[in-house]
Amino acid sequence: MCVLCGQDFVAQAHWTDRHVEDRARAAAPGSDPVEYQGARRRDRGHRVALTNQILGHYGLRVEDWGGSKYVLRDRKGRAELVQHLGALWPVAAKLAGRTLDPLDPDLLEAISAARKG
Amino acid sequence: MESGTKRRQVTIVTGFLGSGKTTLLGKALSKPSMAHTAVLVNEFGEVGLDHHLLRRVDERTVLLGSGCVCCTTREDLVDALLQLLDLDQRDEIPRLDHVVVETTGLADPAPILYTIFTDPVLQHHFAVDLVITTVDAVNGDLHLDRNQESRKQVAAADKIVVTKTDLAEPRAIEVLLSRLGTVNPSAQVQQAAFGVVDVEDLFSPDHGGSRTAPEYTTLQTHDAHVVGDTHSVSVTFDGPVDWTAFGIWFSMLLHARGEDVLRVKGLLDVGGPGPVILNGVQHIMHPPQHLDAWPDEDRRSRTVFITRNIHPGKIPGSLEAFQRLLGARPVPLGTEQSVPLP
Repeated sequence: MCVLCGQDFVAQAHWTDRHVEDRARAAAPGSDPVEYQGARRRDRGHRVALTNQILGHYGLRVEDWGGSKYVLRDRKGRAELVQHLGALWPVAAKLAGRTLDPLDPDLLEAISAARKG
Repeated sequence: MESGTKRRQVTIVTGFLGSGKTTLLGKALSKPSMAHTAVLVNEFGEVGLDHHLLRRVDERTVLLGSGCVCCTTREDLVDALLQLLDLDQRDEIPRLDHVVVETTGLADPAPILYTIFTDPVLQHHFAVDLVITTVDAVNGDLHLDRNQESRKQVAAADKIVVTKTDLAEPRAIEVLLSRLGTVNPSAQVQQAAFGVVDVEDLFSPDHGGSRTAPEYTTLQTHDAHVVGDTHSVSVTFDGPVDWTAFGIWFSMLLHARGEDVLRVKGLLDVGGPGPVILNGVQHIMHPPQHLDAWPDEDRRSRTVFITRNIHPGKIPGSLEAFQRLLGARPVPLGTEQSVPLP
């Protein structure tokens, strides 16, 4: 890990990121790296947008951080860097002070209300 | 393999005490097809195993900071597998294609998966192709009732061998088979009377872990079933699912309830030319494979969730609430539907 920027050089790919890695490996040698980077950026942007629909319920927000990590913030201004979705939920639970549970009736009600509204 | 180099396949053989793991291995190892297979056992036991690549390992687990039991590293396995890899790469042993790991009777197979998927070296040289669970036809019913470990072993299985069927009453075997189907509707089941089992078929690569078209067994799936505190629920969707949204939902579920999500298995239509293969045991997910084509004419998603202490209606209920993110509505599979599963 770089002590200045916190970048992990040997990062473990989370299972939710495997399709991005597989796509990169499957790309023919000499294929356009810009196209791959564009698709990767769109994937990350889409993930951030969707995740924020859940995190909003807990007063949290996530942003892409330089295309390599995500930064998670709460309303008190606290911020934490996370590598991937697997690492995001424990940190979000720490900031929110409770476990983020997709079976939690309050969360499901809020998401359903947003859907109907 | 994605990296272009072939990973050595690892098969995990688990099962409760006295359920016939070692007998099964003894039969399997005598086959010529197992010539390039190494075997890691916890104890040599009374039934002597004769094989040139037999290694004994003492279960040494390192509990990680999270305290989660399934996410523990089996250091003994790391050492043993690295040693085998070293011998293979130096050509000091015949070519190594396959490793069979026999667990102790009380072991949870999840830490073995975790160890191989997360070790920085092992993950590039080994892949878990299947988990085989032996269940004793005489005592299996009792073990399912009394031992959480037994239910976890059945839930983690890709293939189940019901042993000692020659010693059990036909009615008792029927009841056991029905209960096994309830705990894990996605597993293939073989019966082994007098220790006779189709080894070639049993150890053939798992259909859920291969890029080639999977074969399917036709199973009667049910919308929800219960054995003790263990439930299974089968779900499909009314259209393609947004893979990113499913990853968010499921990684969140594993964070909150991972130890109670004993198993997930299935094919997910994500709107691509082929489905994504889902295969997870507790917190541990096999790297999902995006297939290039559907294995058969049925292009519906088909997923099974095996849970503990989670009401069976809660999983479809949560997916229902998440449908705007997922882009599709979950549809529990009815009792009369016959849906093939990987």
